Formats: sequence, structure tokens, C-alpha cells
Amino acid sequence: MSILAIIVDIVLNSLVLGGVLLIVAIGLNIIYGLSRVMNLAHGSLYALGAYAGFTLVASGLNFFVALLIAPVLIAAVGLIIERIIIAPVRKRSIVYTLILTYGLMFLLDGLIKYFWGNEPRFIELPEFMRQTLPIAGTHYPVFRLVTLLITAAAMIGLMLFLGKTKLGIILRAASSIPEMVSCMGINMTYVHMSAFALGCILAGIAGVISGPLYTIDPIMGHEMLISSFVVIVIGGLGSLRGAVLAAFLIGLVQTLAEFFVTDLAMVIVYMMMAVILALMPRGLLGEGRFE
Amino acid sequence: MDDRTSETGLKKGTGHPLRIVALLIIIACLALFPFVVTNRFYISLVNEMLIYGLLAMSLDVLLGYTGLLSFMHNAYLGIGAYVVGLFLIHISPSSLWLAILAGVAVTSLIALPVGWVQVRTGGLAFALLTLAFGMMFYTIVWKWYSLTGGDDGLMGVPHPDIQLGGFVLGSSGNPTAMYLFSLCIVIICLLLTWRIVHSPFGAVLEAIRENEERASFVGINVRRYKLYGWMYACMLGGVSGGLFILYRGYIGPTTMSAFAGAGVLMMVLVGGMGSLWGPIVGAGIFIFIQDYISTMTEHWELFVGLVVILLVLFMPRGFVGLGDYLTRFRKE
Repeated sequence: MSILAIIVDIVLNSLVLGGVLLIVAIGLNIIYGLSRVMNLAHGSLYALGAYAGFTLVASGLNFFVALLIAPVLIAAVGLIIERIIIAPVRKRSIVYTLILTYGLMFLLDGLIKYFWGNEPRFIELPEFMRQTLPIAGTHYPVFRLVTLLITAAAMIGLMLFLGKTKLGIILRAASSIPEMVSCMGINMTYVHMSAFALGCILAGIAGVISGPLYTIDPIMGHEMLISSFVVIVIGGLGSLRGAVLAAFLIGLVQTLAEFFVTDLAMVIVYMMMAVILALMPRGLLGEGRFE
Repeated sequence: MDDRTSETGLKKGTGHPLRIVALLIIIACLALFPFVVTNRFYISLVNEMLIYGLLAMSLDVLLGYTGLLSFMHNAYLGIGAYVVGLFLIHISPSSLWLAILAGVAVTSLIALPVGWVQVRTGGLAFALLTLAFGMMFYTIVWKWYSLTGGDDGLMGVPHPDIQLGGFVLGSSGNPTAMYLFSLCIVIICLLLTWRIVHSPFGAVLEAIRENEERASFVGINVRRYKLYGWMYACMLGGVSGGLFILYRGYIGPTTMSAFAGAGVLMMVLVGGMGSLWGPIVGAGIFIFIQDYISTMTEHWELFVGLVVILLVLFMPRGFVGLGDYLTRFRKE
């Protein structure tokens, strides 16, 4: 392979990885920003999305139809979780919600193992997505390009939702001054519920598109959860631009590290996080303090 | 006047005489245990309870006294255990004290930069970072096959003699001797920790837990004291790791996984945060249940998750909270 081909390959791979990371991390960030709950079960919801996608595709549905249905299913699961488990402890110290959602993570992992077993699964792709496309001397899989498009579409959809719809505007207002929104006569319970559902939809989308990218196994959510924390911590808590920057930075670093040292790629990402935090405790673009 | 308060109204930190007697009785029972129940399996089980009790207690110094949440405190048990094991295999197979010292020293050396980075952020990011660093250690242990044995774990760790001032007290391969050794170390650590959390230093940690901003207003260097608390907890984790490898002679990466970290957190929750004996009792209960349930079901994860959720929802103060509830009930 020529140098150009390698560079194109690395850039595209880091964009794909960064995109998936970004969708998961933004879901986590939205839930935290709106309801002050750091949902440690987010990675498990992402894994659940991948399994839902797998089951839907395996039962004969088109991949794109599965991509539409699975996130809705995850959102439904998320709403149940929010109502039954998270709402009662919202008023308590953040330590309790962290421990609670940590327990929830293992509960969901256990349920996934119970229903789908331990063996890795693969999502069957439609015929046209299994081919490769020649780009600058390299043969790049069509599926990865489609993933990039889906990621971009999801992000644009999110921006339009938050920027143009009434609910989106309420959500944005609630993330900065919740008391004010509450005083305007808007029911905060619905705000919390829609935030959670939105986060879960994003986790579900990421789960379905990462199904063909990586293998699906019950603990696939753990690494994704940690990576999205790294994105949030590096980018700065609550900063959307920071998250975008951090996600693609991590995507690039991890892809490069996988290319050169393979096994310890994640360790290098953690090291980078430690260095950035040591220099800038608030993250790259973070404005506020962590609680 | 209540004997727990001095003229200045501060906690003096001296226990009620009845409590001391109760403690001595419990210690005597624990010391006599291996001579009454000679079954090796039960001795090992209680030994494991003691070791994890020490780890859970050290986590509670962070969580219950300083208000810092560490999701993967077991990583520091793992590091201690791997270091002691590697020391015994590669450097000196017979010096037990040197090995434990090396274990604690290396654990502290590793915990220091990690803690330095972590205390630069607040409570939430602190907790997330413990998870990230814990996963990092887990990945390293898992992938560094030539040093740690990777997935197979560290096997064939020698069992040195337990020596004290020239006398040989027994072999660490002997379950009874090892059990008594663990008991002594755990009691020493418990007394030391009790002394520390009831000192002015402990009061500073509690001030940080209650309100970080106010603590910094009265002139406490919050970051530095958080780091001290963190270092102490990690050192105790290293000690528990040393005891762990000496009694088992084997350690694998699963001991350092996120799932095992949830277990340690659950021990603290079951026992109750903010007391030293609570987490030890919690560890005992947890190990007992684990031993009982793992023989029945393979879906152990499901159970741990469910119990953690139920504990946080309905019994956030654990068994200690239950005790408080009962004493209040008695007074009324």
C-alpha cells in the first residue's frame, strides 16, 4: 500500500470510530446535562441496542429498518429504567446515583447474557454494503462509509431537534437553568424523561451501527462506556463542541495506536487523557467545574 | 456527660468500654476459629473474608470518610498481589516481609501519579477516572503476557515462612498459620485506620466530604488532603493484595475486573458507609453469599446488579444504618 492509501485508511477509520464514540458520549452528556444523572448503564444500553439490532436483522428485517426500530426499543427500556430506578434517587447525592447505575450496568449485562448467551454475534449486512470501494489506492469497505453517513445524519438530526423543535428548545433551556424552566410551568418530569429517552435513542443507534463494525458480545458496552467518559472528561463536561473535538481526537489516537502497537491502544488513550487532565483539569473546552 | 465528647465537644475517639470488650471477644473468636473448625475450606473462606474486609475498609476511608467514590479499588489489591507474587518468584522466594513491603511501596508508587491526576477533578470526574484507570490496569495485566501470565494468571508463587525477629511462626502455605497472620495484619490495619480517622486528619477528610468549598474556605488544601486519603486507601489495598497472593498462591486478571470492583463496592454498601467495621462485616456477608450462590447459578452478575440497586433504593446506609435505626428505636 502506498503512503497515501495508508493515510486515507487511517483518517477514515478514525472518523468512523470517532463518530460512534461521539454518538454514545453525547447521549451520556445529554442525560447528565439535563437530569444530573451520570448513567453508568449507558454502555449496557448501547450493547442492548446492538443485540436488538442483531435480533431484528436475524429475524429477516432490513438493516436500515432495524436501525430505525432498535433505538425506539432501547428508548422504551430507558424510560422504564428512568421511572422505576433513577427517579426515586434523583434528589440524593450523586454518589448514590453513580452506585445505582453501576449496579444497573451489571443487571443489564446479566440480562443480556441470560437472553443471548456469551458467544459473540454478528449482524448480517445487505449485499451492497459488503463490497469495497477503491479510494486513493485502498479498497475501503462500503459499510464503513455508510456508517459515516449515518453518524453524520444522526448528528445533524440531533442538532435540528435541539435547535428547531419546541421540545429541543425546552431541553436546552432546562440544561442551563432548570429552576427557570420549572417556573415557566413546564413539567420537569417530562423533561427528564425525554432527555433519558433521547440519550437511549442515541445509544441504540450507536449500538446497531457498531454491530457490523465490531463483534457483539455482552461486555462490549464496558469499553464503550469508559471511552465515552474519556470523551466527556477530555472535551469538558457539558460542552458539545468539546465532545466533538475529543471524540475525533480519541478516534485518531486510538486508530494510530492500533495501527502501530495493537494491543495496548486503549492504554495509550488513557495516558493521553491523564496528560490532558494534568494540564487542563477542566478538559479542552470545558467551561464549568465538575460537581 | 457522654464519654465520647470532650470539653470542646469534639469526638475524643475513645470507644465505650462495652464496645472494646465486644471487639476483644470477636477477635478472640476469630483467633480460635481455625482450632475449632479444622476444615481447610472454611478457614480459607474466613481468610478471604478478612482480606476483602481490609480492602472494603480501605475503600470506605475514601468513600465514607472523604466522600470520594472509587469504582475499581480492587485494582490496587491486584497491583499489590501481582507485585508481591512477582517479587517472590523472581527476586527472593523466602523474604515475606520484604515482599509485602515491596508490594505496598510499588502500589503507592503507581497510585501516586494516578491520584495526583484524579484529585485535580471533582467528585463525579474523580469517580469516572477511577473507572478509566482501573480499566487501564486491567488491560495491562491482561495483555502483558510475559510478565503477568495474561489470561492464565500468575501461577506457582512460592510460600515463604512467616518470620518475626528470627523466629519462624509457620509457613504461609499452611492455611491455619496464614489465617492467623492475615488476622493479625488486618487487626493492626484496623486499629491504625481507626486511629487515623479519629485524628484531626480524619476530621479534615470528613470536612471535605461534607462540603468541599467550605473546607477550602477555612484553609484546608483540599487537593492535598484528598491525595493523602487516596494514598492511604491504596496502601491498605496493597497490603490486602499481599495477603491475598500469600494465601492463594495464584492471581488472575479477573480479580482486577470492573465486575470485581462492583463487588467491593457492594461490600461497603451492605455493611454501611462511614464506619470501619461495617465494610468488614459487609465483606463477610458478600463472600459468604458469593460462595453460596455461585454454586447454584451462573447468572451471578444479575444478582449482584439487582442487590446493589435494591440496597441503594431501600437501605442506603447498610447494616450500620440498621444499627442506628435500632438504637434510635430503643431510645424512643
